[in-house]
Amino acid sequence: MWFAVLAAVTLLLLAFRSRLDKAHVALLYLLVVLAGTLAGDRRLGLSLATVAFLFFNFFFLPPYQTFAIADPLDWLVLVTFLVVSTVAAQMLHRLRSEAEASKRRAAEVDRFATLGAETLSVARADDALAAIEEVIRSTLELGFCRIHTAPEPDQLVSWVAESGHAAIRQSDGTVRIGDSEEPDPAGLGEAYGIFLPLRVRDRTVGVLEIGQDRPLALSPAQWSFLSALRYYAALGVERARLSAEADRAEVLREADRLKDALMASVSHDLRTPLTTIKALAHDMAGLDDRAITIEEEADRLNRLVADLLDLSRLQGGALPMSIAVNAVDDLVGALVQRVSGAMEGHELRIELEEGGTLLAGRFDFVHALRILVNLVDNARKYSPAGAPVDLIARRRDGDLELAVADRGPGVPVAERERIFEPFYRPAGTPPDVGGTGLGLAIARMLAVAQGGGLAYRPREGGGSVLTLVLPAADLPTSLS
Amino acid sequence: MPQTLLVIDDEPQIRRVIRNAFTDNDARVLEAATGSEGIDLAASEHPDLIILDLGLPDVVGAEVCREIRKWSATPILVLSARHSDEEKVALLDAGADDYVTKPFSTSELQARARALLRRARPTPAAGKTRIEIGELVLDLDARGLTRAGSPVHLTPIEWDLIRVLMANAGRTLTHQHLFTQVWSGRKYGDAQQYLRVYVANLRRKIESDTLRPRYIRTEPGVGYRFATATEAAQGGGGSGVRD
Repeated sequence: MWFAVLAAVTLLLLAFRSRLDKAHVALLYLLVVLAGTLAGDRRLGLSLATVAFLFFNFFFLPPYQTFAIADPLDWLVLVTFLVVSTVAAQMLHRLRSEAEASKRRAAEVDRFATLGAETLSVARADDALAAIEEVIRSTLELGFCRIHTAPEPDQLVSWVAESGHAAIRQSDGTVRIGDSEEPDPAGLGEAYGIFLPLRVRDRTVGVLEIGQDRPLALSPAQWSFLSALRYYAALGVERARLSAEADRAEVLREADRLKDALMASVSHDLRTPLTTIKALAHDMAGLDDRAITIEEEADRLNRLVADLLDLSRLQGGALPMSIAVNAVDDLVGALVQRVSGAMEGHELRIELEEGGTLLAGRFDFVHALRILVNLVDNARKYSPAGAPVDLIARRRDGDLELAVADRGPGVPVAERERIFEPFYRPAGTPPDVGGTGLGLAIARMLAVAQGGGLAYRPREGGGSVLTLVLPAADLPTSLS
Repeated sequence: MPQTLLVIDDEPQIRRVIRNAFTDNDARVLEAATGSEGIDLAASEHPDLIILDLGLPDVVGAEVCREIRKWSATPILVLSARHSDEEKVALLDAGADDYVTKPFSTSELQARARALLRRARPTPAAGKTRIEIGELVLDLDARGLTRAGSPVHLTPIEWDLIRVLMANAGRTLTHQHLFTQVWSGRKYGDAQQYLRVYVANLRRKIESDTLRPRYIRTEPGVGYRFATATEAAQGGGGSGVRD
């Protein structure tokens, strides 16, 4: 088309050849070359310049209709025209391609900005991922783009997620797996699908899959765009994960609050009827033996309510502790006071290894007492009839040790940690030994919450020893 | 002379349980369903003992104690449904004399109430100088303590401590209360551990088995309570299940 324009211009110039100066011809031809360069590309510009050069020589430099040149000065005009038109075409082309490149970059920046905004501002993280998929698909003009975050039935996706290496699926169904984040360049020519790991801080958080029904021929510019987008996709996946986690945490907190409120009200609302039942049963005990069972069961329900409440508070870290220096004397005295009515024929033997000073520790008196009552209660339950339960208190360096020992069946090796799990019941025990199944679990949590511990060991000669360890303290001997 | 009891409790079932527990003993039982009603009745009827439930709908339990304590020395026995020792301590410091934790047995409640009533009954000799509990005789004039007739040697602080404890036999005294009574002017805080030491020393002097105390009972997380003459006669330990 531009050659037609050139021919038309030449014909026009020929019509007025007698009245024209060489400069008019040169300028008009230059105009056509530049216009051609601007509309087409560099090759068109350079071809136009060459043809214009030949036409100039052939039609407008005497002698006409030959390529010979009479006046040597015309050579100068001709060569100058060629150089000027070539250089001008080159420069114009470069200017134009630079303008295009910057326009492309502006568009890219624009897309990234959109992408960034969408990754961060979309209310639901999952929608952000969908937005990123769409941007990648439309920008690279792909058949489809998918971001996989959860485990997939597709084995290739799971392989990429696990290994953190890229993979390519080719048209004939074969798969090329890579040994790095980047796909094997040798397989790209026939790639119908590409699987790229999405990584954040050395961790694969998801897999980006792109593909279509014909080979994916991606230019280097598209590749670099894709690797930048990968980063956004990885951030998007990470954000989706974090936001899901935050949602879950919020739900859990809400559930916790609800549970606490429920437990508190259950505790209060259950104890009032229990008080009535227990008190009335107690009054009737003289008239009817069955009332004794009613009272015992009311006590058991009350223990269960208290245990459940404490377990819930301990697990939520909300059980108040009042840690103070306390004498073991006092603690053991309170223990005896509490259990003496319920030893059922077992003697509680107490041994304090005092070594001249009063044994003392830094602990919460009520919680420590609760643990010991529980341990002694357990020891009694599993003791053979009439066998004594031993309590030995001693100081060992910075620790205060309170060991409760029985002559019961002991605990098999495999179950020695399980006894501290909530609702654990030893195999083969009768369904009711009167407990709630929470005692040891609560006891250990209470011990740990006071900076101590609770451990099991078998007793020499048969039986169990449960040792409560609490931080020891030194009591002043006098205060004037 | 029949005694008058005032029960302040919003639960009619609990009021009935308490009424049953005491009408057998020839006592008159007044009932109030709210804190303010209870305060009014306490003012107009001058009961001998007030049994106060903490879970009242209108007023906080400690407030009821404080209000009544402004003009009356009537013993107050608190019913607590909660697990919180801090709350019990706060109530005792607000003027309550003792507490029973729900669920309680009627015999436990009766024992606690009797102990408070006996303590509150005016003694024939107004200037009472001798307190006898079990084998112990405390003579305030002579500043001496005898156990089964033989004198017990006491340091000045041990003397102050047992004097406060025996004069308040049957009452649960909080650690803080005891400390300020005995070490008046000293700051309570870490010093509460001294109380543990003196109680331990005192027990060694008056108890035959310090681990099964007959006289100085430990109220876990709250304080100490000196046994009444009746309790001391029953021997040590086994004072029933208490939280």
